[in-house]
Amino acid sequence: MASHQTKIQHLLLRAGFGETPENLQNLIKKDIQTVVDRLFDDSKNFKELNYLPYPLNEKEQKKGAGGAKQVKLFIKSFAEMEQLNEQWIFKMTYTKAVLREKMTFFWHNHFATSIQIAYLMQVQNNTLRTHALGNFKTMLHAISKDPAMIIYLNNQQNVKDQPNENFAREVMELFTLGEGNYTEKDIKEAARAFTGWTTNKMGNFEFVEKKHDFGEKEFMGKKGNFNGEEIIDILLENPQTAKYITTKLYKEFVNAKVDKVRVHHLATAFFESGYDIEKLMRSIFTADWFYDDENIGSKICSPVEMIVRFKKYLEIEFLELKYLLNFQKGLGQVLFFPPNVAGWKGDTHWIDSASLLLRLNTISYINEEGLTLDIHGKPAFEAELEERPVQKGKKKLSAVWEPFLKSLQNKTDDELIDLFIQSSRESINKELLIGLTPKAKIIQLLTFPEFQLI
Amino acid sequence: MKDTRRSFLKKSALISASVLIPDFLKAFGSLANPQQFVGKRLVVIQLSGGNDGLNCVVPFRNDEYFKLRPGIGLEEKQRIKITDDVALNSSLAGLADLYNQGHLTIINSVGYPNPNRSHFRSTDIWQSASDANQYVNTGWIGRYLDALCTDNCANPHTAIELDDTLSLVLKGIKTKGLAFDDPKMLYKTAQNELIQKIAKSPYHDHHDSVASFLHKSLRETTQSSDYIYEQSKIYSSQLTYPATNFAKRMKTIAELICSGSETQVYYISLPGFDTHAGQLGMHDRVLSTYSEAVKAFCEDLKANNLFDDTVILTFSEFGRRVKQNASRGTDHGTANNVYVINGKLKKPGIYNELSNLTDLDEGDLKFTVDFRQVYATIVENSLSKPSKLILGGEFQSLDFL
Repeated sequence: MASHQTKIQHLLLRAGFGETPENLQNLIKKDIQTVVDRLFDDSKNFKELNYLPYPLNEKEQKKGAGGAKQVKLFIKSFAEMEQLNEQWIFKMTYTKAVLREKMTFFWHNHFATSIQIAYLMQVQNNTLRTHALGNFKTMLHAISKDPAMIIYLNNQQNVKDQPNENFAREVMELFTLGEGNYTEKDIKEAARAFTGWTTNKMGNFEFVEKKHDFGEKEFMGKKGNFNGEEIIDILLENPQTAKYITTKLYKEFVNAKVDKVRVHHLATAFFESGYDIEKLMRSIFTADWFYDDENIGSKICSPVEMIVRFKKYLEIEFLELKYLLNFQKGLGQVLFFPPNVAGWKGDTHWIDSASLLLRLNTISYINEEGLTLDIHGKPAFEAELEERPVQKGKKKLSAVWEPFLKSLQNKTDDELIDLFIQSSRESINKELLIGLTPKAKIIQLLTFPEFQLI
Repeated sequence: MKDTRRSFLKKSALISASVLIPDFLKAFGSLANPQQFVGKRLVVIQLSGGNDGLNCVVPFRNDEYFKLRPGIGLEEKQRIKITDDVALNSSLAGLADLYNQGHLTIINSVGYPNPNRSHFRSTDIWQSASDANQYVNTGWIGRYLDALCTDNCANPHTAIELDDTLSLVLKGIKTKGLAFDDPKMLYKTAQNELIQKIAKSPYHDHHDSVASFLHKSLRETTQSSDYIYEQSKIYSSQLTYPATNFAKRMKTIAELICSGSETQVYYISLPGFDTHAGQLGMHDRVLSTYSEAVKAFCEDLKANNLFDDTVILTFSEFGRRVKQNASRGTDHGTANNVYVINGKLKKPGIYNELSNLTDLDEGDLKFTVDFRQVYATIVENSLSKPSKLILGGEFQSLDFL
């Protein structure tokens, strides 16, 4: 059975992004319930991402931006996407409300959206953050009217005479019921109900009556002149939605291998609570089985989780924004650029030869300030579709080692392993640590594949 | 068909996942080549950004072409006539040579139903060989790699992408391809002493499947990087390749092929085809980068008697709008032409009718050949596997190979 320290670390890695050895000292003295309560308390108050102002001036808002201005906005927006990315990484690393950020990150992958208007991605991110621990019902209604989502899933093109089914399909397949729990006819009828849901020049939701189909629809065995809100309510009345969401949360926060009985109990309670996310997450983090050996260190951390963990330890700063983006690309996860509406697959899908080598080399790259970190990765957005020059032999990042090393002074090898390795410690070849300087020892330890498991 | 295809993919994912653990425990330590390759090596080139196929294979007798493209329609001196009705862009001189030698097949109007005009999504669709409304976690080459697994699976270097990140196309459930920019760089990265020490440490499985999975992946990676590095030293091409990054990577591929590498599939992409504005010069440059490198590559293979055993497929995630836009460029379109190059083609030349420029779907070309028919042909003829197994559906083969 895992030690108390390992259990607390497990909780902090799953409900947050891990803690520095220094902060851990205090936390491991507390019992699990206290730390869980604190995680939720610390997430009560939070700040939005408010980096970007609304991009159009008053005149443009009235008239709409012309072609040239639109192109300019678009190009500016690429740079802004990078800044937004960095801002969020910063927030994940240094906020007190870690659980809220972790949940926001989960919802970012659940309601995966990628449009290249940074301001609207910021708006969506804040919507997800607001509801991250709130009520899934409220969140689903909000995100269905979110401008970035409307643009991404072509609901602007969803009009009475020519329905576009994209949003209607994904809201069922990916956001609520999961595949196989609806018919093609349900999609067609739902699409009609969402006609006229669009976004205006202010970047706000707008319902355009004349584009909406007010006629009768037959959806999931019910007949009525349903509007979009009513369709969403019907989806939420279906316990399958609670099951689908709970399964996904379980896979992400507990174990990729699903325990069906457990998930059934959780999903039933989630449904009966009227979709109270906080309540569900509390019951997961306080359950005994959450701390079972089979769940600890069983998850391959996502690239962003790895980056934030290193940033917490060593205050890493990338010297140019593109280096941060390129690094994320190399690892296979660029914030705000999920591969498609189904999001990142996670789990073993993160790992291939190239991405694994990059992960294991990360601490070495940090040690040499990114001198040979020459990854540029595939384009994440259109402006990058041109061939890009490689920046060889330049320092690309900085790190602060002293406080980190100081917090690890006088630790035995076993104590170090306990701090950084959550999974199968027996598999760590301790001989590799013998005779190394304290810094070299840490670098070797954080190179182990087991460090990637949280 | 769609439902059976969906359930096929789902089922195959489940089956693969359930055999994952015993499979790699068996493969422990040894990475034997599971099956002797009897097919033809495949090189796939993606022209990324959406290549304007209509300005590559030019229907110069068609008035509609010039009517819709008054500023960017290619004039006589900008094209090379290859048949009475068809000319290639003059920047594709290398391709025109291959055409004249009977080593090129051009397949017109290749696409799929409900085309998606996003670069990323359409690339996903082409790489996973899925329907437009499906999200599949594996690529078609990745599923080919999975199909090679018997007791053991194939080494990562069985399919190589010349890039520093691995695309979806080479990802299977049990096996994934190997991505690198340059064999030396790969070797150097994998040679990090700290990583080598771990890779070489005895590893005892502690029934911790995820840690075992990572260790197994690491061992495969270091073994494959050693293999590729050694192979890259065997044959050094005497031919002069153009000085572009793309040509450098094509040269790496040729050298690995000529050195007798076990690799069966190579994947490479060339960016720069997203020609929204001022298309002509930009398109010319990137087309000649492509054509000149391919020309040198084919000569290299011919000199080594390997041209007949190598199939080169070139595609783009979509074609472009037929009508030019206001900035003398073209916007994202749909169906497009695909090029197949090989020393022994069954049907060289223009494979099928040129795209119809008057029967458009909201300004875009209609597809007449599903891209998975092209894949099916290659899977059966070049990779010697039943296409249904790899593509998850019945797609009628063509007869260019």
